[in-house]
Amino acid sequence: MPPKPHRAILDRVSGYADEASAYLRRRRLTRRPFARIGAPGGRAIACDAETELGRELFLAASRVLDVARG
Amino acid sequence: MPDRNAENGPTVADAEVAVARLTAMSSDLRGCVILAADGSALAASGELEPWERAAREVLAAADAAAGEPASHAHVGTEDGEVFAVRHRGFALIAASDRFALASLMLSDMRAVLRELARAPGAAPARDARAKAA
Repeated sequence: MPPKPHRAILDRVSGYADEASAYLRRRRLTRRPFARIGAPGGRAIACDAETELGRELFLAASRVLDVARG
Repeated sequence: MPDRNAENGPTVADAEVAVARLTAMSSDLRGCVILAADGSALAASGELEPWERAAREVLAAADAAAGEPASHAHVGTEDGEVFAVRHRGFALIAASDRFALASLMLSDMRAVLRELARAPGAAPARDARAKAA
């Protein structure tokens, strides 16, 4: 038995809403600032922007981007 | 094979070629600078002084965060991304667009620095800069 027409529309609308929320979730994750530092010996450190050292690193990176902008 | 770099450092021209190479290799690149072991800028895609100052700050901040001299760093902000790579005393700091492929960018930067460190160099960079001034 074919689905009722309004059901098909509702399914489609909720499908688009799911897609949109997943897109926004991905975008929020990828736009979050991050810093990764590699030390000799292969050690990798993730630097948090909440810490004092992390804040310094993000400020310094912003200044590099300002210089690049000219 | 003898280490030619130990006798003659790369010239400013070598560093400028390295900057041009990286610029040509990476479409996401906004600009970059190469620092010598003493922290002075050898070449940059823009004015040397502001690039040198900003690059040294990034390296100092990365070293402080790592607790030791960092071999590389990658910082992503909403405005763009900053990469730093060290190789045999040289440092290359680059700014790129957001969402640049980090592994590709770091690989290109390392290749450029390796090539620069191997450059025979007619004269040490510091001498060449003094002559140019």
